[in-house]
Amino acid sequence: MIKFIFKGILRDKSRSLLPVIVISIGVFLTVFMSGWMKGVFTDMIDMSAKFQTGHVKIMTRSYAENQNQLPNDLALLNVEEILTGLNSDYPDMEWVKRINFGGLLDVPDENGETRAQGPAAGRAVDLLSPNSTEADRMNITNSIVKGSLPGKQGEALISNDFAERFGVKPGDDITIFGSTMYGSMMFKTFKVSGTISFGSSFLDRGAIIIDISDAQLALDMEDASSEILGYFKEGTYDDMRADSVKTSFNSMYSIADDEFSPKMFKLREQNGLDDLLTRGENMSGIMVFIFVLAMSIVLWNTGLLGGLRRYSEYGVRLALGENKGHIYKTIIYEAILIGLIGSIVGTIFGLGACYYLQENGIDFSSLMKNVNMMMPPVYRAVVSPELFYIGFFPGLIAMTLGNALAGYAIYKRKTAQLFKELEV
Amino acid sequence: MATIKINDLVKKFPVGKGHFTALNGINLNFDKGEFAGLVGPSGSGKTTLLNIIGSLDTPTTGSTIVLDKSISELSNKQAAKLRNKHIGFIFQTYNLLPVYTVFENVEFSLLLQKISAFERKKAVMMALEWVGLTDKAKSKPNMLSGGESQRVAIARSMVKKPEIVLADEPTANLDSKNSHHILQTMKKLNEELNVTFLFATHDEKVMQYLNRIVSLEDGKVVSDEIKT
Repeated sequence: MIKFIFKGILRDKSRSLLPVIVISIGVFLTVFMSGWMKGVFTDMIDMSAKFQTGHVKIMTRSYAENQNQLPNDLALLNVEEILTGLNSDYPDMEWVKRINFGGLLDVPDENGETRAQGPAAGRAVDLLSPNSTEADRMNITNSIVKGSLPGKQGEALISNDFAERFGVKPGDDITIFGSTMYGSMMFKTFKVSGTISFGSSFLDRGAIIIDISDAQLALDMEDASSEILGYFKEGTYDDMRADSVKTSFNSMYSIADDEFSPKMFKLREQNGLDDLLTRGENMSGIMVFIFVLAMSIVLWNTGLLGGLRRYSEYGVRLALGENKGHIYKTIIYEAILIGLIGSIVGTIFGLGACYYLQENGIDFSSLMKNVNMMMPPVYRAVVSPELFYIGFFPGLIAMTLGNALAGYAIYKRKTAQLFKELEV
Repeated sequence: MATIKINDLVKKFPVGKGHFTALNGINLNFDKGEFAGLVGPSGSGKTTLLNIIGSLDTPTTGSTIVLDKSISELSNKQAAKLRNKHIGFIFQTYNLLPVYTVFENVEFSLLLQKISAFERKKAVMMALEWVGLTDKAKSKPNMLSGGESQRVAIARSMVKKPEIVLADEPTANLDSKNSHHILQTMKKLNEELNVTFLFATHDEKVMQYLNRIVSLEDGKVVSDEIKT
């Protein structure tokens, strides 16, 4: 009987083509949008983690409350001791110290007079230690436009935009004006080793990147840092693990009434990411619900129209000795077969599109020149195991549900009444 | 021994707040191997009676016993089983399933009986041979003439070797030559296989072939004539 039904589906295009197209499109969109959204959120989390939040971050309680102002006077002290403790207590994580600072970037002319000035957003990371992974983590090496990474103390990378605007090139000197950890004036001249562009105006505007030892020296932050970031060695954020590390660290090291005691925050608790991630997690469910609902309505309608068109067929089948329950069952079997075909086609195309965008991504950097949020310039979809079923089952269910509703009208009629209505 | 026994059969259909009496006190018996017809004008109750005998409908009152089974007492599944195994239907408009081949159309009722593919093929080819259409087994219904389509419908009704064949205006859409061809085929099957044929018709050509003519008018039997 299944073979008989399958032949009918294959030969009667009006029975199968529209539903297969509707399901394929619905499943494709569900799979593709889920993969894309997940990829976008993963990219945003990843970028946030690498540049700002880590998977977990340690700051002093006061620094955390005012971190937008980069208050290095409230920075962490005894950083090496903290790092030693962290490496021993949490060996499955990598811990790095960072200093963020603001200031004025001054470009001198050949006489040492100011030629150009602009606000600087400084980041000090470990660039010079032989085993440091910071340059790779922040994709600094690949983002260099001209020159190279700082190879020794006293060298800096500056924003390529800034460099082009003021005609600064690798080998030129620049001076940073700012304030030290203790509030006194700070002047420090660096040699430009290269220019950099991350493709995000939030990161590129006035960017200057120096080695952390230079920053500690210039800002009087010996054995101090703005923050310590922790990363899971697997490279991906795991909220439950982050929560467990945070709870254990804070219970051991954080003192509630000491504003200078260190406090750990997990990624979700920073920069409003909790809301963003919650919405992202809900988005897939909402999308699947909308597609299933819309597909069910369309397929219900298609099922009703198909049922009307095939009324005389059902009448003949009744007369040939098929009972109406069996006819209803075959309608459901047909729906399952069509749903399977549509879901497989939609899933294959959805996965294909996701894979393409996972490998190639879409570069939005030209649209983000004036965006003041930390957003990656290139967004990629991600192919994950749930994409294999996230659209597949809803597609199958929508088709079966649509036809079950449409066929129920046939099932609930008395055979005699049905036979008359079937116009045989 | 009567194959079909009808006693005081009344069939009423609800119409608005009242009802319409389609059959009113029918008493008839049909024996095995009869080639009989229900004749009468439109609305006389021919098709309604055929549907009740075919277990597609049930009497309002009275009884209809078909092959020793009371139609009123059959469940949906039992009625379907009776139709599937013992009763063949032939319609005015052939009603072949358009997406299936001639072979598959004829095979359909056997699929419901869980018969092996080999047995099905044998039975289908034999049925097509009866109606002279073995060469059209792979054709689709839209490639057949009206006469050929009705012959396929006959093969479909005969493939399961039923005891009774019910034919509702089987020649209404056919020209004279094809009508005679069809009727000769059915007559031959009636004689060779001893199958009971019961027609609903007002076609004079059909009446020429019938052994018995039951005339209906306003839901009542007005005459029951057996030809000798």
